[in-house]
This record gives sequence, structure tokens and C-alpha cells, in this order.
Amino acid sequence: MSNWERLVWNQREVLLKGFLVTVEICLIAFAIAVVGGMLLCLVRLYVKPLKPLAVLLIEFFRATPIFVQLMWVAYVWPEIFGWPGTFFAAGCVALGVQSSGYLAETFRAGIEAIPRGHREAGYSVGMSPPQVFRRIVLPQTLLASAPSIVNQFTVIVKSSTLVSVITVQDLMFQALKLVTVWYEPIEILTVTAGIYIGFVFLVSLAGKTLADRLRLRYGLAAA
Amino acid sequence: MHVESGVDAVPAIRVVDLHKRFGTLDVLRGVSFDVRRGDVVSMIGASGSGKSTLLRCINRLETPSSGEVYIDGEPMGHRGQGDAKARSLAEINMMRRDLGMVFQQFNLWPHMTVLGNVIEAPIRVRGMSRREATALGEECLARVHLEEKSKEYPARLSGGQQQRVAIARALAMRPKAMLFDEPTSSLDPELTDEVLVVMRELAADGTTMIVVTHEMGFAREASDRVLFLHNGLIEEEGPPSQVFGAPKSERCRQFLSKHVQ
Ligand SMILES: Nc1ncnc2c1ncn2[C@@H]1O[C@H](COP(=O)(O)OP(=O)(O)O)[C@@H](O)[C@H]1O
Ligand SMILES: [Mg+2]
Repeated sequence: MSNWERLVWNQREVLLKGFLVTVEICLIAFAIAVVGGMLLCLVRLYVKPLKPLAVLLIEFFRATPIFVQLMWVAYVWPEIFGWPGTFFAAGCVALGVQSSGYLAETFRAGIEAIPRGHREAGYSVGMSPPQVFRRIVLPQTLLASAPSIVNQFTVIVKSSTLVSVITVQDLMFQALKLVTVWYEPIEILTVTAGIYIGFVFLVSLAGKTLADRLRLRYGLAAA
Repeated sequence: MHVESGVDAVPAIRVVDLHKRFGTLDVLRGVSFDVRRGDVVSMIGASGSGKSTLLRCINRLETPSSGEVYIDGEPMGHRGQGDAKARSLAEINMMRRDLGMVFQQFNLWPHMTVLGNVIEAPIRVRGMSRREATALGEECLARVHLEEKSKEYPARLSGGQQQRVAIARALAMRPKAMLFDEPTSSLDPELTDEVLVVMRELAADGTTMIVVTHEMGFAREASDRVLFLHNGLIEEEGPPSQVFGAPKSERCRQFLSKHVQ
């Protein structure tokens, strides 16, 4: 029996379980990042009194190293806010808010790049400001930001390898556990690296293909 | 003042003593004029004289510093009927849809098809069903001779075609009047005619229009009245034969000598 078979193939269920946790965390963190980034961006642009707070949060989320962010959300937030209750949730939130800081800035650039005339054309046919935002500004912003959004997803996947420090049992956690059981890191870690590379590659490729196709269709320039 | 009968006594657009200042810059300094229903009024004047600002104040993309605009006798800025209270943003939005605006830069929405651009407001603002709006949209596209382009995206159209779609988009709200702000100024010369043809057809159909333009041929042949704006004031005003044939103002004469071949 080769090492590959013993250490990797026979442990495939453990690794798969870890991988599914990784996917789950990344998807939830991604949703938090996109929604949170848009909210931060909107507050920053359109809610005058809260603008300083939004700027502070954006800068804070972007500047904090992910390791510190994970520890902080996992151990400090529950003391201050009484939330999040699980390490899994803490991992999702920490990864999500960091990317939300980056996406907030991407969205702001996207919104500011839309010619004022596009909005005025909406007002001139009687659309309300929320309608203009939802129907004219938001779709164009998302299209223009698509490459950055996809990129943030890959950042989240890579950062997610650190959630094991707060005991979340993701792919990296399971791989490290196997390593400590067998003391045979070569095969396990190589395969783990391969899984991450494959995951990131597929996501990037799918995202880029989709974004290019949409932009070609609408004749929009790449951002 | 003589008494007129029927609804025609109320002008489609009445502008009364309109002022607009940006900071310390007085852009409009007391502009008043009426546009009767079905009339085409061309507005000419040097760059920076306030033409765009005037149009934008009429449909409230800019808020006038003082003065009032009446659409079919309804004041844009306040409630009317002795109620001096300012209109809310929502009310102004409601009234704005009665004025179709065509911009120099077309301003089509690039992520929607041609038909999508045209039916957006009928659906969202008028609450039409998609099917009703599509029928209306196709009718409007036919008026600008672009019915075969309804499924294209704006980026695939020439500038002239884009501007005609923009006209169709404004027409789809069945506005009481159309405002054109230099609709052909960003077009290559060979594309201006197709837009002007459409505008002449609208004029011939009895559409009430204010047209800011440097196309003196259009102003002379298609309009009922011509306004010459200078430094935020109407310096010369009258039927095209008079403004082009025998302008009273020296500045207007100079302007025309530069712009009419
Ligand atoms: N939003 C604005 N803020 C400050 N100044 C403005 C603004 N819009 C227009 N202006 C100024 O008002 C003057 C008239 O502009 P505009 O109405 O665009 O003239 P026109 O359309 O006749 O060329 C110009 O001097 C212009 O710089
Ligand atoms: Mg102008």
C-alpha cells in the first residue's frame, strides 16, 4: 500500500468533510463581504452623519491582519457584543468583514465612475432615487466590480486556511490533524495544497469567464 | 391682455422670472417665456450663456434660485392654488415625468437593451405591465425608425442611433413636452441628419418642444419661435423670420453671423 493510498485516499472522507467546511465558510464570508461592503459603501457615500464611522470601519477592516481579526472576533466580540456564539460564525464574520472593507472601496469607485447623466436620465423619466440606484447604478457597479469581487472570493479562500487557529474544522484543520497523527506531511500537505489551488483556479476562471462575457455583451470596458 | 378661450389659454410651459446662481455666479438672471401647446421653441446662444442650466431648471434637475416654472399651469416648485409650500422630492419626481429630456451625451443605460431602455420608466414609474410597455416601446422605436434594433445593446449602435433611442425613451413616458439639450452636438456631421429628421417629424406631429441647438437650419425651418440667450437673459426673441432676418440685438446679429453660413 503506497503512502498516497494510505494517507490520502483512505482519508478522503475526512478531507472531504474539511473541504465542505471550507466551502461553507467561504460562501458565507463572501456573502457577508458583498452585502457588508455595499452597505459600508452606501453609508459612506449617502449617509452624511455616519460617513466618518463608515470610513473608520472600512480602514480598520482593511488594515487588520486576518490572524488578529480572527482572534479578535472570536474572543473579544462575544465579550463586548455577546456575539458570535460559535467559532464557525466568528470565522465567517472575520473573513467577511475584512473583504467587506476592500469591496466597499471597489464599489465606491464603481459608483463614482458612472456618468452623472445616467442617473439624470433616470430622474428625467420620473424614476425615484431608490429606483435609479437599484436599476441603473447598482447593476453597472456590480458589472464593473465583477473582477474585484471574484478576486475577493479567492482572497477569502486563502485566508480561510487560518480559521483552524480558532478551532474551526476546515480542510486545513483536518490536514494538520492527519499530519500529527501519521507524522507524514508530504503527501497530505501536497494534496491539500492541490485542492486549494484547484479551488481558487476554478473560481477565478468561472468568475473571469462570466465577467468577460457580460462586459462584452454590454460593451463595457474592463474596470 | 386679450382673452383666449379653451385650454389653449394655459401654456404648456411657462417660465417666470427664473434665476439661478451657482455660488457667486449668476447663470440665469430673470428669464421668462411661454411655450404654447404644440409649439417648437429653439434656444440659441453662445456656450456658457445658460441654455443647459435653463433646461435643467425647467425639469428640476437643478433647483432654481428663484422664479417658477409652470407645466400646464401647475407650478413645479410649490403646491399651487395658494399653497406656497414647496413640493417634496417625490412630487417633483412625479411632475418630472411629464417632461421628456434628451441630453447631448445620450445617456442610455448600457446594461439594458434598446427596448429595455425605452420600457424601463413605463414599467417602473407608470406601473405598466411588461406586455403593455413592450407594445408602447415598439411604437416609440418605430417613431424614431429603430424598431429593428430593439434587442441590441446601446454600445452596438452608432451615436445617431443612440440619440434616437434616447428620444424614444423620453417619448415612452408620453410627456407633455420634450426638452432637447444640443441633441446633435456630440455627433459626427454625417449622423446629425438622422436625428434632425426625427425631431422635425416630432415637430410636425405637434409635439411641444424646447430645443437648444447650434443647428441654425433646424431653428430657422422647424421652430415657431427662437430665443437668443445671452449671459443668462433672453436678449432676442421672436419668430425665426424675425430673429434670423432682422435681429434687433447687436449681439444676436454677431452670434448669427458666426453661426449661419
Ligand atoms: N453645477 C454647476 N456648478 C457651477 N457652475 C455651473 C454649473 N452648471 C453650469 N455652471 C456654469 O454656468 C454657466 C452656464 O452653463 P450652461 O448652462 O451649461 O451654459 P450653456 O449650456 O449655454 O453652454 C457656465 O459658466 C457654467 O460653468
Ligand atoms: Mg449646454
